[in-house]
Order: sequence, then structure tokens, then C-alpha cells
Amino acid sequence: MVRSNFQAHPFHLVSPSPWPIFTCISLLALTTSGVLTMHSFSLAQDFLYMALLLVILSMSFWFRDVISEATYLGNHTLAVQRGLNMGVALFIVSEALFFLAIFWTFFHSALSPAVEMGAQWPPKGIDSVNPFELPLLNTVILLSSGFTVTYAHHSLIQGNRSGALYGIVLTVLLALIFTGLQGLEYTVSSFTLSDSTYGSCFYFGTGFHGLHVMIGTAFIGVGLWRVLAYHFTENHHLGLESSILYWHFVDVVWLILFISIYYWGS
Amino acid sequence: MLLRRSFLTVGRRVAAKPITPLAPRTFTTSLKRRAAGDGDPKPGEPDGKMIPFEEIKTEHDLLPPGAEPGTVPTDLDQSTGLERLEILGKMQGVDVFDMKPLDASRKGTLSDPIIVKSAGDEQFAGCTGYPVDSHVTLWLNMSRERPVERCPECGGVYRMEYIGPPDDPHAHGHGDHHGYEEPKTFADYVRPEYRGTPQAHYGQ
Repeated sequence: MVRSNFQAHPFHLVSPSPWPIFTCISLLALTTSGVLTMHSFSLAQDFLYMALLLVILSMSFWFRDVISEATYLGNHTLAVQRGLNMGVALFIVSEALFFLAIFWTFFHSALSPAVEMGAQWPPKGIDSVNPFELPLLNTVILLSSGFTVTYAHHSLIQGNRSGALYGIVLTVLLALIFTGLQGLEYTVSSFTLSDSTYGSCFYFGTGFHGLHVMIGTAFIGVGLWRVLAYHFTENHHLGLESSILYWHFVDVVWLILFISIYYWGS
Repeated sequence: MLLRRSFLTVGRRVAAKPITPLAPRTFTTSLKRRAAGDGDPKPGEPDGKMIPFEEIKTEHDLLPPGAEPGTVPTDLDQSTGLERLEILGKMQGVDVFDMKPLDASRKGTLSDPIIVKSAGDEQFAGCTGYPVDSHVTLWLNMSRERPVERCPECGGVYRMEYIGPPDDPHAHGHGDHHGYEEPKTFADYVRPEYRGTPQAHYGQ
């Protein structure tokens, strides 16, 4: 075995790539156009949509390169896998802290309701959503999706391709149903974002949660494509495991949302 | 009657002797064997075989055989490149990457130095003495021209063993002096008989 023909260390020193700088520029465009939109500058909303598309495209091309390097080039040795796992875990921790801020602002307003709201929570005049109607159904849907994605994962580990595919498809379906029902909830809601701090907190929390659900759905969707395309092996399927971890995180955030905002806050 | 008798005789003779074909194998059997997939792979297609660990020489040897459609592939079926090298090495009990820290199980001496394997022309070693962490980390440089180095604090001896790619005979000789004179270290005061042979040429 000619050891010197191969890299001496197990780490992946990434070859030069344009995607990080493209993503940076896209994010700059997104934030700038976002601010301009909020201040009602003309045409800013069009720039916002374009910037959003640019961000999604840059990230997609970047992740496509990562998939090529892992599955087709074999650069993801055990050391690299460990690093990636740590990266995903830290990212989810950062997301958790972001949601912590959202819950902080909710509890700040809700624990000591101001006199302007009638010193009560929900504020006077706000018809809060009955937590045991649609929100409870949504909770059941998300918990079921957690079950199906776990079934899919274990099927993959055991070499059961059809089980893995059924599980992932069901998960994506449940996720889409959740998103659809939340959208329905938004359309029939009696209060808006501008209806006192209750509206702000409610839509801030459920809005960003919904965005994370959509991202998680896309993540698992990519996992579905990769299972179909035979990218994953029984042992090495970090992309799927990361998406499952992200999905469980999204599920937990919903449970906390349900308990704090929907149930306790009604 | 005569015709009938000759027919009978011919029939018996034919029945007694089996028909031998003109050639042992005809062209139709070749067609059958090709169709069965027994032959060579098409140009550019992998040949579905795994190379034994000892015979791995190039990146091409690390291409996987692939799994059956409709199944979930295993790591052995599908891993490729450096990942595959690591897995195959582990199966043989070989640590392909050797990420172990510097050997601090003993103090290196001139007759029994601590061997430091290196894939490059120069190698750093951080000596903390024996037992480990006896003194502050002191960084020692070893090169292929001067493989033996001694720690100025504890006197521990380290020797570099080059395990990198063989020298390119067509390349120019690499500059020994980088434009300045390097300061003397303890390695310069090691007696010639202990200095170790310069490892400029590496035989496979």
C-alpha cells in the first residue's frame, strides 16, 4: 500500500470555492433590502424577493458542493464527520438561543401586563386562539412527524430502503400539512401583528417557528432525494441525521410555543 | 428389405456413437457468455471488484464496488476516497492517519531516540520532557538533512523518519539555505556518529 500517495491527515481542507462570498453578498442584500422594505422605500420589496432567491441559490450551490465532496469524493472521514456533527449541534444551539430571545420578549410582556392592556393577559380586546382546536391538532401532527422520521432513520440503519422512503415521505407530508394548517390559522385569526404586544409576540414566535418548519421540511426533503439517489449508507448518513436533529428541535420549539403562548397565554 | 436393413444398421451405429461437434465451443456460446455479464466492464464503468488493502496504490483503487439497486448500501459497498482508505485500514488494524501525540513514554537517547514519522521535508516536535509535562513545551525542528534533534531543557533525543512521497528525480534540488543562516541548536553539537543518515532519498 503506497501510503504516501494519499493525504497524511484525515481532515478536509476545502478547495477554493465562490459560494461563501456569494452567500455573504446575498445575505448583505437580504438584510439591506429588508431594512429598506420596512421603511417603505420604493421597489425595496422587489429587491427583498430577489435577495431571498439569491440567498437560497448560493446556499443550494454550496450544499451541493458539500454533497459532492462527501458522497462522490469520499472526503468525509470520521474526523470530518465528527466536526460536521459538532457544527450542526452548535448551529442548533444558536437557533435555540434565538428562540430564547423570542420567548424572553413574550414572557417580559406577559408576566406583568401593562396597564394600557388592561393589566391582564391576553390584553383586553384580544380573542386568543383556543389551544385545544387547531393548535392541538398541529401538536399531534408534529409529534407524529417526529415518530415517522425516527422510523425512517432506523429503517435506513437496518438496510430497509422501502421503510426509510415511506417514513421520510410521511414526515414531509405531515410537515406540509402542518404548514398549511398554520397558514389557515393565520388567515382566520381575529388579531394581526399590530394588535398590541400580544399580536407582536404571537406572530413573532409562530412566524419564525413556521419559517424554521419550512427550512426543516426542505432539509428533510433533500434527505428524501438523497435516500432515493442511494447517497446514504447504513452507517454514514450525516445529512439525514442533521435534518432529523433540526426537525426534533423545531418540534420542541413548537411544544414550548404551544405551552407558553397558546395554552398559558390564553 | 435391403434398404430397411441398412437403415437399421445406420440407426444403430448412429445411436452407439455420440455426435462429436466440429469444434469444442462454437460462436453461439460466446454470445451467451457476453450477454450473461461475465465479461469486461464497459469503458469508464467500475468493474465491481474491491482491491485488497495491500495493493492500494492510486485513487482509482479506492473506488467502491457499489451495491445492488433497491437495497441500502453499506460503507464497504459505497464509501470512496480517503473515507474508504480509513475504513479499509481499520478493518486491517492499520491506523491510516496516526493522530497519536508525541511518544512521551520514555526519554529518547542518542542510541534509542524517539522516532517521529513525517510526511514532509521538515517536522516540528514539541518536547515536554519525561514524564510528560515535566517542562514547558519546547519546539524542536527536524529536517530530512538533519533528522536528529535534542531538547535543550531535558536533552531528550528525537529522530525524524521520512515516510512521505519519494523524491522526484526530475525536480531541481531544493534550496538548502533560505537566504539566511539558521541559528545553531543542540542538533549541531550531536556527534557525527549519532547524527543519523540524511533521509534525502526514500526507497519504497
